[in-house]
Amino acid sequence: MMLKKKTRFAAGLAALASILLIAGGCAATDAGDPGKADYTKMSAEELAEHLIFAQGGFRLDQETQEGGTVRDRQTQDAMQKVCSESRNQPSPEQAGQIIADARASIQYPDGGIRLGDWQKGGELSWSGFGFRVGHNVDNHSQRDVGGNCYNCHTMDPARPGGNLGPSLTGYGKQRGNNEATRRFVYEMIYNAHAYFPCTAMPRMGANGLLSEDAIADIMAYVLHPDSPVNQ
Amino acid sequence: MIRKTLLALPVALAVGVTAHADHMAENPADILRSVISEVPDSPYLTQSQQNLMMMEDNPNLWTVEDGKELFYAARGPNNVSLETCDFGKGPGVLEGAYAAMPRYFEDTGRVMDLESRLVHCMQTIQGFASDDPAVRQRHGSNSDHMKLQSYIASHSNGMAWNPPLDHPMEKAMRDAGEVMFYRRAGSLDMSCQTCHAATGKQIRASVLPNAMVPQEWTKAISWPAFRVGHQNSRSSQHRVRGCYWQMRQGQIVAGSDASIALISYWTDLARGQPAILPDLKR
Repeated sequence: MMLKKKTRFAAGLAALASILLIAGGCAATDAGDPGKADYTKMSAEELAEHLIFAQGGFRLDQETQEGGTVRDRQTQDAMQKVCSESRNQPSPEQAGQIIADARASIQYPDGGIRLGDWQKGGELSWSGFGFRVGHNVDNHSQRDVGGNCYNCHTMDPARPGGNLGPSLTGYGKQRGNNEATRRFVYEMIYNAHAYFPCTAMPRMGANGLLSEDAIADIMAYVLHPDSPVNQ
Repeated sequence: MIRKTLLALPVALAVGVTAHADHMAENPADILRSVISEVPDSPYLTQSQQNLMMMEDNPNLWTVEDGKELFYAARGPNNVSLETCDFGKGPGVLEGAYAAMPRYFEDTGRVMDLESRLVHCMQTIQGFASDDPAVRQRHGSNSDHMKLQSYIASHSNGMAWNPPLDHPMEKAMRDAGEVMFYRRAGSLDMSCQTCHAATGKQIRASVLPNAMVPQEWTKAISWPAFRVGHQNSRSSQHRVRGCYWQMRQGQIVAGSDASIALISYWTDLARGQPAILPDLKR
C-alpha cells in the first residue's frame, strides 16, 4: 500500500540521519554508550528522531498486527509529519496536499457504500480492542478489532462517550440515511483528513484499522433509524 | 495489597496516625485542595469528589513507609543502604530532590529521571545486577521500585516543580521532549497533544488533564500515585508507557533517553506548581 511504501522510505531516511549524526558528533559520554552523539549539537527535531530511532527509545523490532514492526509505527508519513510540525495548523498549501492525499487514499467498496448490521456496529463502536502492542499485545485472532468510537464520541446517550470528537447522538435522525450522507460518513471514517486536514480523527480505513464490513456495521449504528443512536 | 491496606487502616485509626508520613510537613490532600482553589472550575481536578475524600487514606502512604525501611536498609551484594545516593541535591539529600528532576548528572553524563537514577544507585552503590528483581521489577505497590520511588518522591510533597535547565543537556532533552509531545505517529495518528492540550476533554467518562494549565498538570504528573482502578501504586514511567500503548504507538523503553526527554518536558510544564506526593488517581 501507498502508506507502507512511504513509511519504509521515511524509516530509511531516519536511520540514515541517525548514522550521519553519530558519525558527525562522536562524544562518548559514558562507558555504557560508546559512540553516543552530542545531543546539544542537534536541533530539537533531530534529537527527538535520534532518541526514538537510534538510542533505544522504543522497542522498534517488535512485530505489529498489520505485519510490520514498531519501527514502521513510529516512522511518520507526510501527514503526520506536517501536522506535528505545524501543531495541526497546516499552511493553505500543506492543507491542500493533505486533502489531496487523503482523497486519493479512499477506496470504496465494490457495489457501493452500504449499511451493515447496526447491532454489531454498536459492539464495534464500544470496543477499544485492537492494534495495541508493547507489554500487552492485542491478539486479533481472539477478538474483533473495535472502532474505539466511544472513546471520543457520544453515540447512544445511555452509554458514556468521550468529547474529543463531536457528539454523534441523533446523527442519522438529523441527516437522514441517503446516499450523500452515507458517502460523507464513509469518507469521514475512512480518512477524515479529506475534509479536515490535521483532524484528530484516526484514519480508520486508510490505516487499515477497520475492515470494509466493520465500517458498514458502524455506519449502520450511526445512521440506521432503529439504532439507539437515533432514538 | 488490598489485604494489607485493610489491615493497616484500623491500626492507623487506632494509633492516630495522620494522613501523611512523619517526614512530610504537609498533607497531600491539602496541597491538592489549595491547587483546586486556584482553578475551582477545573473539570479535571473536580471530576471525583470520592477520590478527593480517599486522599486522606491514600494506600500509597503505606508504600512510602515500606520505602523508608528499604531506603535505609543495608541491601544488595555490597550490603549498604541508599543513603549515599545523590539525587541531585547531594548524597542522601532527599528534600526537594524529586521536584528538581529530571536533571543532568556529571557522574553519568546523562539527564536522568527518578527511576533511572534509582536504578543507577542500586547498581553502582548496592551492587545489584541489572536483572535482579529489585532493579528489574518496576511496577506494583509491592515492588522495591515503587516503594523506594514513593518514599523519595514524598520528600518533594508541596514543593514547586523546578527541574533545572541550566545545563545544555537539560535544555536539549526538554526541547526534544516537547517535539515528542506533539509528534503524531502510530496507527491512530495520535500524539500526547491530542488528549492533553485542551480543558475538559474526556476519553469516555475520564476527564483528561490539560498540559497547558499548570494547576491541572501538576496533579497529572504527580507520580507515584495510587491508581484506584489498578489497586496499585504507579510511576511516571508507567503512565508514559500506558499512553503510548493506548495511542497504538510502540512500547517506549523505561529509562531510555526518549522517555526521560518526555518527562523533562512534562515536568517543565508544571513548573512552579506544588507537587502532590503521593497522589491518588482514578
